[in-house]
Amino acid sequence: MNAAKYTLGTRSPDFAHVAESVADLSAMLRECDAIGRAVVVFGGGTLQGIGGVPARYDVALDCSRLDRILEHEPRDLTIAAEAGCTLAALDQALAGAGRFLPLDAPRASLATLGGTLASGWLGPRRATYGRPRDFVLGTTCVLADGTIASAGGMVVKNVTGYDLSKLYVGSHGTLVALTRANLRTLPLPPARRLAIAALHEGTRARTVSHLAALPIEPTAALIVKGFPKSIDGNDGVDGRIVILFEGSERTVDAATRELRSALGSAGVPETRLLDREAGPAFARLIDAYVEPLGSRSMTYRSYGSPSQTTPRLDAFERVGHANELEVETIEDLRTGDVIARISSRLTPDFAARAVAFDSQRRTALAGARIVVAPERLRARLDAWGAPPASFATMKAIKARFDPHGTFAPGRFVGKL
Amino acid sequence: MTDVGELGRRLREVLGADAVKTSPEDLAAYSFDACGDDRLPDAAVLPNDAREVSAIVRIGRDCGVPIVARGAGTGLCGGAIPVSGGIVVSFARMNRIVSLDIPGRRARVQAGLVNLDLSRAVAGHGLFFGPDPSSQKSSTLGGNAATNAGGPRAYSCGSMSAHVLGLEFVDATGDIVATSIDDPGYDLTATLVGSEGTLGVVTTLDLRLLRAPRAVRVAFAAFDAIEAASACVSAIVAAGIGASALEIMDRTIVRAVEAHYSAGYPIEAGAVLLIELAGEAPDVEAGERAVANLAREHGALAWRSAASARERDALWAARKGAAGALGRIAPNYYIQDATVPRTRLPQAMRAVEAIARDCGLPVGNVVHAGDGNLHPLIMFDRRVQRQREAVVAAGHEILAACIDLGGTISGEHGIGYEKRDTLPLVYSSDDIATMQRLHDAFDPARMFNPEKIFPQASVCSEVLEPATIDTASP
Repeated sequence: MNAAKYTLGTRSPDFAHVAESVADLSAMLRECDAIGRAVVVFGGGTLQGIGGVPARYDVALDCSRLDRILEHEPRDLTIAAEAGCTLAALDQALAGAGRFLPLDAPRASLATLGGTLASGWLGPRRATYGRPRDFVLGTTCVLADGTIASAGGMVVKNVTGYDLSKLYVGSHGTLVALTRANLRTLPLPPARRLAIAALHEGTRARTVSHLAALPIEPTAALIVKGFPKSIDGNDGVDGRIVILFEGSERTVDAATRELRSALGSAGVPETRLLDREAGPAFARLIDAYVEPLGSRSMTYRSYGSPSQTTPRLDAFERVGHANELEVETIEDLRTGDVIARISSRLTPDFAARAVAFDSQRRTALAGARIVVAPERLRARLDAWGAPPASFATMKAIKARFDPHGTFAPGRFVGKL
Repeated sequence: MTDVGELGRRLREVLGADAVKTSPEDLAAYSFDACGDDRLPDAAVLPNDAREVSAIVRIGRDCGVPIVARGAGTGLCGGAIPVSGGIVVSFARMNRIVSLDIPGRRARVQAGLVNLDLSRAVAGHGLFFGPDPSSQKSSTLGGNAATNAGGPRAYSCGSMSAHVLGLEFVDATGDIVATSIDDPGYDLTATLVGSEGTLGVVTTLDLRLLRAPRAVRVAFAAFDAIEAASACVSAIVAAGIGASALEIMDRTIVRAVEAHYSAGYPIEAGAVLLIELAGEAPDVEAGERAVANLAREHGALAWRSAASARERDALWAARKGAAGALGRIAPNYYIQDATVPRTRLPQAMRAVEAIARDCGLPVGNVVHAGDGNLHPLIMFDRRVQRQREAVVAAGHEILAACIDLGGTISGEHGIGYEKRDTLPLVYSSDDIATMQRLHDAFDPARMFNPEKIFPQASVCSEVLEPATIDTASP
């Protein structure tokens, strides 16, 4: 067993089991549940850094060998795959048939479909295409007691019983082990273009309002400060505007012209365009969402209305600078997400500064959650922040689905 | 036995006399939905806000009576019928827009707001609300959320669950609970949408608004048979052409709507395919050319593109009024709702045709074709028992045929009371028991809209009692 691969925070499992089939996975879960062993379900492990460290962790249950594509119906715009299928393999099969799925998760060659859904990953293109859960038509999963159960189906409209798949997406492996997902797909757009321009702080407000008024809405629109390794371009500027357009060639061309003129009149002179390189460059930017900067950085993420990104962005910067931390940010103008990576390359005592920064989550940084942290800090800080108003219902759901606390106990919000 | 006098007294104490109905004449208005069955509740109430809904739920809980939320009563599966009596909670007075965030494209509304009223209120800002069920002039957003409603435009923008950003509901203890998709934790927002009022009473919705497209084109193609129209739709979907809606009406429906609306559909056609394209003007034009070519390849007899916004609206008004227009043909109609994979649409339509022939009753078809969502309408006379039986049998056969084609028994109307015993045709007992775990987490006493969704025989016996989990243990 490669113990390091399955370590979470300060905890390692007693053993890892690589499931060979759904029946095998079900048998293992049933046994663990019966004898009180705590299980963490593993895919590619790319997003296991999100969330708390489980209170108990005996068995790593690895689904990566359940990696088949089960049904691919390009003419129906649907695909079904096992949970361990990587996003890269899925993408490749889809692209061959002129289809795609805008899941936008980091490290697609390692990330699995099951892990991406379980982690509730949300990327920038959801403002245009919808959230990953809106693409899920049905799932098969294994409950803690080994029961194999399905929900939904292979059709795009379905109100037949509860849509449990949407409950499982984002449940961080605390309710069920996903084994299969059926998904809606989209026709691959004929053209894709990434436009990158330097942004100076003085022109920010005007630029944001010009971008919001673009006649052809971008597929994604972000303002990135820092993250030099993730985006090509000049380090010496305050920030960069990153705009993605997808659609017909004619519309992408028209959108580019309108963008250049809007940015020009906002005082942003030059826009660099990437066409063939647009996909890889956009993927690098998404990788940055969970990429640590050595061992002295932490990354936070905050969700909210696109009209309210500025106050959240300002709060991250203010609290960071007050603690003498460097702050890099990604501001998503279309989804309203704000990502902030704090680090201290130059000053000592990162841990103490980070803890002071983190204490502001009760006030100035309310709603922010930790997505990347060094293992020591991760065990010490609460990744999720205060439980939401609906927490009593969440606890009741956990108690019904996983009465013995077999699935990653203590890992989710409120130590669920 | 419910002490109706005591129940009415307690409700009046909290809500005032004019918001509580208990006489049989008054209660009749809250006894049915559009599916045809009815049952009088013990009381009907008209709350003004979530606090009053909370008080109602607590009274219902204390008195041990069911709570059934009711929007406009346009549901087609008996979802709003108080089949075990109890309190019907009408949302007729909770129909306000609470707030608008125009730059963030979000609206907070009370659950009783009528669907179309939201799009009307934001149209001036260049925005609209996506889901557009045919009932949108009367059905409420709360009801739409309960059934995860879609409508023609669901093809391009998805059903309700893709548009609800958060909500407020009254839970089984009477607490008012807010959820948001931005909250950490389980996605209770998506879980409550489509749960048909069985998990709690939704009082407020936070909804996503969409930017209105810069160009819209509506056209139709006429075919000699519905199978050819269906095959054309499968080809359009497979070709990845970005239409915003693809709707089919068969000859029976076209004749009925033309008699009523005179929208310009050809009454001699076997089926009409209504196409809407929306987006940037050059894309819309290119899309229209591509669709017209595919229509020709599939044997279209005629093609017409709406020349003006007025013509466009007339074509849509006729389509959305299809069910109502059938009143001219038969005293009653029964509308079925099923979905198949989109490439199976031609086979599904062939199966429906054979079933219609066998049952000896006239059948019309409106189809959200782009989504593979069928709505066969069987016309009959409720007073004739043989016809009633034939309708039920044919409806069942249609569902069975759609399941055989890889489909399911509801695309947008829900299961409600009417289809609950067909749920096991789609799901195993383990699948259904897993759904009941969710139900029992929200509503262990089964107070909210009982006797819905789950088959009659399945009551709870397989569900485990939850142990208390100790979340704080190290």
